[in-house]
Amino acid sequence: MRNNIPATSTVLNALLRADFTTQWRNRRSVVLVFLVPLIILMSWKGLVDKLGGAFVLSICITIGLTAIGLMGYTNSIARDRDKGIFQRLRVAPLSTWTIMVSRLTVQIVMILALIIAVFIVGFYVDKISLTPAGYVFGFTMGLVGSAVYLGLGQMIAGLIKNPETVSATTRLVYFAFIMIGMFGELGMLGTEVQAIVRWSPFGSVKRIVSDSLQPAHWTIQSTQALLATIGYAFVFSLLGIKWFRWNTK
Amino acid sequence: MNHQSHTPILEVSGLHVYYGNFHAVNDVSFTVNAGEIFGFLGPNGAGKTSTLSAVEGLLKPRSGNISVAGFDIHKQPLHARANMGVQLQATSFQPELTISEIIGLYAGIYGAAINHEQILSILRDIKLEDAAGKRFGQLSGGQQQRVSLVIATIHDPHLVLLDEPTTGLDPQSRRQLWERMEAIREKGHGVLLTTHSMEEAEAVCDRIAIIDHGRVVAIDTPEALVDHYRHDPEVISVSRKGKITLEDVFIGLTGRAIRS
Repeated sequence: MRNNIPATSTVLNALLRADFTTQWRNRRSVVLVFLVPLIILMSWKGLVDKLGGAFVLSICITIGLTAIGLMGYTNSIARDRDKGIFQRLRVAPLSTWTIMVSRLTVQIVMILALIIAVFIVGFYVDKISLTPAGYVFGFTMGLVGSAVYLGLGQMIAGLIKNPETVSATTRLVYFAFIMIGMFGELGMLGTEVQAIVRWSPFGSVKRIVSDSLQPAHWTIQSTQALLATIGYAFVFSLLGIKWFRWNTK
Repeated sequence: MNHQSHTPILEVSGLHVYYGNFHAVNDVSFTVNAGEIFGFLGPNGAGKTSTLSAVEGLLKPRSGNISVAGFDIHKQPLHARANMGVQLQATSFQPELTISEIIGLYAGIYGAAINHEQILSILRDIKLEDAAGKRFGQLSGGQQQRVSLVIATIHDPHLVLLDEPTTGLDPQSRRQLWERMEAIREKGHGVLLTTHSMEEAEAVCDRIAIIDHGRVVAIDTPEALVDHYRHDPEVISVSRKGKITLEDVFIGLTGRAIRS
């Protein structure tokens, strides 16, 4: 008698349960990922009238997406690859895409939770309210934007094998994105940097999220930013998948 | 008691593995029969792990055929893996999960429907009923190996691959693991075991293959190998106690030089 291949749904169910449990047990680091955008959101309460509610929300969502994509996802796959957890999974009768789908599903749920948290804090603390279409469109563009950072994280994990170096690199990129992105976007680093930031992965994502929160303000530049976002996501993901190795040896 | 049925559960033929220009596995062929513990012995870097990785489907050989329970590992990898259980040399599981959660995860992945009570029963069988809520890293080396073996056999596979499972274990844990291997053999399943311990090979293996520089240099039962090479000058020259042992045969065939 031979053993049968388990159904993909059974495999995914088992992987998702384990990955969500792992995420839950790491809830302290999850809280830290949420903390930075929410603190910025609360501390910028006085700037809402000047910058606009959509701008403030979009900056906070973009920072949150950067943290989840770069630090949460990337560091977890770099660690599990180094520890041989992926190798153990790969000798089981499952397709490798199920491992990544499960990991990405956890991150997508995290992203949705982050966007909801930003909307709730924005509404109750900063008194920012959007139209129902703005919330729905904002969710959608948040998810599209997250693909850029998940792809970038995949690319970093593909390029660098050592998990400590991956962690240091993602922190550096995260810090650079926040500082240059946020201050550059506001024009505090000069007009040239502002123009570069506007079309950078940070600026493009920030723009589509910001404009989607006010669907009436969606312009041709928003569409261009969306195309740039899709382009970044495509290139980063493609290179990330191409360079990624399941083991560090 | 011999449970061998001479039905090959693993067939490896003409296997060649390269790392760049380095020929790591050179024309390796062997079979593991149902109800047999087959030992794979070789010095460090001889090609044991590369051969095992090819059998597991973790690396693609340049050429050669590997079939598990009749399924080609490269043409039908999922079918082949569904019929094999693997204990890797350095097994690691998600450090955040408890032992019962890890067993539940792998039961799900292998399609073995088991509930929490059954998981506790499995842990009771390996004398780890108190470890259900512990993390893998909190267990001793011997306990970790017992959990790894349980996970490798959770779906009752026809072939079990064990990569140096007793390294670093105390004699009690080693004996216990041998008994578990023998229990697998008694069920009529095949075991492919890599080891550096000649004592282990003599104690549990029905047949062994000695591999060196990527080539299989000898395959037979431990007793037959000792008999066959008893009068070999190389083997006699390395003998320490006047009596030829499997270790003497191994060193006689693979040389005295320490491998990196």
